Parts: sequence; structure tokens; C-alpha cells
Amino acid sequence: MLTAVLLLILLPPMVAQDLCKDSTDGFKVRLSIKTALGDNAYDWNESEMFLFQSTLAFAMRRHTEQDTYNIANILVCNNTPRVSFVFVVTSPDDPTKLIPKEQVEEAVRKSKHRINSAFLLSDMTLEFIGIPPTLATPITYDTPPWLIVFGVVIGAVAVGILALLMSTVSKRRRAKNKDAGFAEEDDGRVKENGTALSSLGGKDGVYNQAFSNDDRFTQL
Amino acid sequence: MSKEARPSWDSPMQFVLACVSYAVGLGNVWRFPYLCQMHGGGGFLIPYLLMLVLEGIPLFCMELAIGQKMRLGSIGAWTAINPYLGGLGIASVVTSMYLCLYYNVINAWSFWYLFHSFQSVLPWAECPVNSNRTGYLEECEVASPTQYFFYRETLNISSSIDENGGIHMGQALCLLLAWIIVYLFIVRGVKSTGVVVYFTATFPYVVLIIYLIRGMTLHGAWNGVKYMFTPKLEQLANPQTWINAATQIFFSLGLGFGSLIAFASYNHHNNNFERQAIVVSLINSGTSVFASIVTFSIYGFKATFNYESCLERMRLLLLNTFDLSEETISIENVSSWISHLNYTHPERFAAIASKIEDCSLEAELDTAVEGTGLAFIVYSEAIKNMPLSQLWSVLYFIMLLLLGMGSMLGNVTAIITPLGDLKFLSRTLSNETINGLVCLLCFLLGFGFTSRSGNYWFTIFNEYAATFSLLFIVFIEVISVCYIYGLRRFEKDIEDMLGHRPNWYWKVMWAVISPVLLISLFIFYIINYIQGGTPTYQAWDKDLGKSVVKEYPVYGQAFIALLLVSSVSCVPLAALYAFCRRKQRGTPIRQQTASAASSDI
Repeated sequence: MLTAVLLLILLPPMVAQDLCKDSTDGFKVRLSIKTALGDNAYDWNESEMFLFQSTLAFAMRRHTEQDTYNIANILVCNNTPRVSFVFVVTSPDDPTKLIPKEQVEEAVRKSKHRINSAFLLSDMTLEFIGIPPTLATPITYDTPPWLIVFGVVIGAVAVGILALLMSTVSKRRRAKNKDAGFAEEDDGRVKENGTALSSLGGKDGVYNQAFSNDDRFTQL
Repeated sequence: MSKEARPSWDSPMQFVLACVSYAVGLGNVWRFPYLCQMHGGGGFLIPYLLMLVLEGIPLFCMELAIGQKMRLGSIGAWTAINPYLGGLGIASVVTSMYLCLYYNVINAWSFWYLFHSFQSVLPWAECPVNSNRTGYLEECEVASPTQYFFYRETLNISSSIDENGGIHMGQALCLLLAWIIVYLFIVRGVKSTGVVVYFTATFPYVVLIIYLIRGMTLHGAWNGVKYMFTPKLEQLANPQTWINAATQIFFSLGLGFGSLIAFASYNHHNNNFERQAIVVSLINSGTSVFASIVTFSIYGFKATFNYESCLERMRLLLLNTFDLSEETISIENVSSWISHLNYTHPERFAAIASKIEDCSLEAELDTAVEGTGLAFIVYSEAIKNMPLSQLWSVLYFIMLLLLGMGSMLGNVTAIITPLGDLKFLSRTLSNETINGLVCLLCFLLGFGFTSRSGNYWFTIFNEYAATFSLLFIVFIEVISVCYIYGLRRFEKDIEDMLGHRPNWYWKVMWAVISPVLLISLFIFYIINYIQGGTPTYQAWDKDLGKSVVKEYPVYGQAFIALLLVSSVSCVPLAALYAFCRRKQRGTPIRQQTASAASSDI
């Protein structure tokens, strides 16, 4: 009688261990708490394991939309000091049957972000060996930002060139008008001082080729 | 005679700054640190400074003297020295043209990187994700994110020079912008250039100082600087060290392109170019040393970062394989743990033996890179690991742009000054139009560098267009001035300009030492070329994620030969042409005075 009772009590965990150790439907999980959190790292103990089992049960519930998954359905074995272990998921209807690997993988991928947040870890520090992480979508822009900066710069430069060219053109036109104006004044009106030298009033002066040596300035 | 006086610099300071802006270029940043590293660190300064005194300063001063005396661009100046030497000026202009074509492509890349720095995450910091978001793109995984960004997204490089792809639109736009800015700077000749050089000559130093402070405060920077300055004096026995020092001084000062002659031609007759030549040369060399301190502190940071990442990877590998608790192995005792675990669990260790890397700080510091690889790959890799990386990235690429633009000013002035002196051109077109046409022509020809195989053509130009021909040009320059024009006449001209004759140092260097050095460099290049066999280039292999060596195809080698011949042959061809014309005209050969400003070649 006693043996029968003992067997009844001890059998499920033993069977569970066998299910976990021998199965091919299990995944190895590895946590790197110290690497992720440094001084704020928490210790890995039974309660944390309890949390892990409950988040996985939650992931299975979310994926299959069956409210029957429980902590007892998540079996864990092969604990190491690294903080890594193997887990398998049993079906809630039949505790001896395991949920196939692909289903577990899909469930984990769907809720990975929630599982990570529960442990304050990331895809790099909470690894499910065999389940690649889904990487964040890259940011897409309607107009790439570099084009915007390019547009601003080339607009500014184009304005600068136009301004320079305009000023050159208007300077030339002014010089041409001044030459034409001097020709008229010499013929007709008398200048204020009445001397011919006043026609040299333009600030550019007249270029005298006899004095072509341009050393108006002394050396450095 | 021209109908208006030749434009001139507003002050001698503008001229000095223009020379500094021209001489201090990208080579100071990316070639000198590499040479320093290859040839024994601090010890390299000995041959470098010696060569500066023996060939750098004398040749620089000579070019300034010629420009200031003749008051013409390179073609006119050499024709004035001797009517048969007009070809020397033409060769300078042709070489400057080649340089302009490919140099502005570097500025285009700098613009591309600068514009891409205005993003929350630098695009070369992370690999792009593949289509089903399970991992990164394969090419990026095999190489590194910075290499992927440079080779794939910036250049979209093909796997060999034979495969031409389409034109990269982003590159073409950046090249357009680069040429428009160059036009803006030179549109009014020295009047506009003179204003711009105040900025392009001084701002890079501001950035270098900021980077020096930032670099020195980075973790691990001191490793790099210590490594650089530890002299390995045994390298001085290697002749390659001396040759590299001589070529670096030579190319760094920008001799032979005609830019210095062009700049000096806008000087006043009594400008003291002798002192300015010494000042500019010393500033140029000082900047090289300064830039290499900055580069090595960045190297040290990058090497330390990679070394510590390597140790971290090994630590994780050991922890995961042997399922040990995280506190047992720390970064410091990784190597002792490796040997311990190898001893205690040999079979399990053998399973991961292929993944074990040998982490070594020296090996990381030893990876010497030069050229575009240093500027765009190594530096951007270091920048992405700095805090506030967008700011540092923007600062760095603005500095590269200013250095590059400053040198471009000199390169383009070397072309437009002789063209502006040609009578038949300046009669029909205004200066602004000539400058615009030159920029437009160079832009259109530069389109080839924006294609998928453009980088390979760029490498051809970078290595062959301006190296050999320059040595030839400057050698002929020195020989002409000393022996054809006559050293005594040259001395008298200098006395006329400065008020005193050049002392024995200048005369000995010009007449004897510099020609001897140049001819030995020349012979070395020829021997190197013959011994090197078929010229090869580095092609990017996207499956391996690194560069592989390939030989140039026949048309590539023919093109290299064409580049060399086209500039060098100008000298004899123009001499022949002048000879024939004189025979045709029947004028005696010796009747040409130095003030032949009205020559109409």
C-alpha cells in the first residue's frame, strides 16, 4: 500500500524528468543576467524559475488561444550554474504527450518581447537555442534624410553662385554705362570744376601703361 | 599687354593661407600616419625631416620664385624661361587635369558620408536586416558594417574592373555638388579664392584640435600613441624608408602641378616668398605629425575596443560551452581559463577549438591602413563607437571636405591660370565663363568614377596619373632653371625681387642635391615598375567580404601607359613644335627675352 502510494506520488515527476531529458522537442534556454544587468543583477533561484515557467505557459496560451495551459505543463531539466536549462511543453489534455517543437517555437517567437521584458533581458541575453530572434524592422523614411540635407546645401550654393554672377554682370554694366556717360559729358556739358581732369574722377582711374610695375605695396 | 592689371591677392596672408590650404590635404591625414607606422614610428621623423630640408623647401621656394617673377601661369612662365620649355607647362596642366578629375570624387564621398551622418543611428553602425528579419544581410555578416556601407551602399562596387554597372545616382549628385562648390570658390579667380582660403586653411586645425582632445580622452587611445612613437630605429637601415620619406615630402607639398606657380603669379613683385616657402613647408610637415597623433589615438581606441570585444566573445564561448557560472571567468583571466579548460576537458575543448581566436592588442594595432580605406572605413568604425557619434561624424567629414576642397582650389587654379593667360581664349570669353567650362568638363568626365567599377578606375588614376609624371616634370624644372636658364640669372632675378641673393644653402640644393635625389627616385620608380610584374589591384569580393588581388586587363594596362605617356610626352612634343615654328619663321633661336609676356602660344 505504502509503496503504491509512494509510486503514485513519485511517478509523475520521474516521468516528467524522462520526458524532459530524453525528448527532442525541447529547447535549451540560456540567460546571461550578470552581463545584461551588471550590479543590478538578480540571483537565479526557484522563484525566478517559477516566473519563467509561467511566462512560457502564458506564451502557449497566447499562441494556441487555449486557456488550459498551466505551470505544470512546462517541464524543466538540466539546470547548470551558467543559468541554462532545457524545457519541454506537455499538452494540457494529456501530460505524457509533448507539444511538437515547431508549435513551441512559434509561440515563443510571438511573445519573445514579453518574455524578455519579464526578466529585464534582451534577445542577446535571453537565448533560446534554435529559435533565431526576430530583428527590429529597420526605420524607413519617405524621403531619405540625406537628400534633404543635400537639397539644402545645393540650394544655398546655387544662390551664392547666382548672387556672385549677378554682381559681376551688374558691375560690368555699370562700368560700360560710365564709359558711355563720360563720352557724352566730354562733348557737351561743362564739368563743375571746368577742368578736363575731372573726367578722371572714377575711382578706378586710368591705367597708364608706362608705370606697369605694380609695387604699390612694400614687401612682406 | 592686358587691358587691366593682373588681379592680385588682397594681402600676403591670403597667399600664405592659399599655399597652406593647398599643401595641407588628405595625404597629411591618411598617408603620413601609415608611413609612420610602417617605418618605425618616431624614427621615421628623421628621414622625413631630412628630406624636407634637402628637397622639399628648396623645390617649393623655386616654384614660388618662378611664378612670382614671370607673373604667368605654368605654360606662360616656362615659355618665358625658354621657348622650348612650354611643354613643361602643358605637362603640368595635363597632370593637374587628371588630378582634378579624380580628386573631387573623394570630396563627393565625403559629402555622401556627411549627409548620411544626420540620422539617429549612423547607417554604418549596424548591418541592414534581411527580408524575413531573421538575420543580417549576408555580405554584411561576412565583412563588417562599415565595410559594407562603403563598398555596397556608397560605391555599389562591382567585383572587377571589367564589370561596368550603371551610375550611382547619389554619387553623381554629390559629385555635382562638389564641382558647383569648387566653381563658387574660383569663379572670380583670386578674389574669391582669397576669401575662401581664410576658412579652408584654418578650420581643419580647429577640428583637429577638437579631435585631439576627444581622441586622447578615449579609452585605449594611449596604446596607439605609445605604439606610434616608440621608435624602431632598425627601420632606418631599410632603403624603402628613405624612398618613402622622399616621395611623401615631394607629393605632400604639391610640387610640379603648376598650382604654386599660379598662386605666386598673383603676388606683388617684392613679396618675400623665401620666408613664406619655409613657413608653409614647416606648417605642412607639422600638420602631418599632428594629424598622425590624432590618427594614432583613434587607432588605439579602435584596437582596444576590438581587443576587448574579442576577449568578451571568447569569454562567452567558454561560458556557454562549459556551462560555468558567469562570475567565474572575467575578461582578465580569459586566456588562463582557455589553457586550463584545454588541459582538463580536451575533447570538449577540441569541439570549439576552431572558434577560439587569438586576441592580441599588438595584432590589432599592426593592421596599418592608408588611403580611402583609412579615411572612410577605419575612422568611421572608430567614430560609431564613440558617444554622440553623429556629432563626431559630422565634424570629421567637414574636416575631410575642407582639406579636400582646399587642395582642389590649388588644382583648379593650376588649370585656369594658364588658360586665362592665353590670349585667344581671354579675348573671346570672360574669365567666369572659362572657369565654368573647365568645371563642367571635369564634372562630365568625372561621371565615369561614379559607375560601379568607378573605384577601380579611381585607383588607377590615384596610383599612376600624378606620380611618375610629376617626378619627371620637377626634375626637368630644376635642371632647366639651374642649367638652361642659368643659376646666375635666376639669382639676379631673386635679388631683384627680394633685395638679396639666395645664400649657399639654396644654390647647393637647387644645383646639386635636389636633382640627384629626384633622379634616384625616378630610377627607383622605374625599377619598381619593371620588377613588379603585371600591375594588380584590389577587387572587392562580396562573398568573402574582403578584397582580393586581381591583375589589370590589357586595356587597363594600356590606359595606365596612356596616362603616363600623355603627360610626359608634352615636353618633347612641344619643344619639337617650337623648333619647327621657329625654323618656319626663320627667326634666330637665341632671341627670346625673359619678359616675353606677349608670347602667343
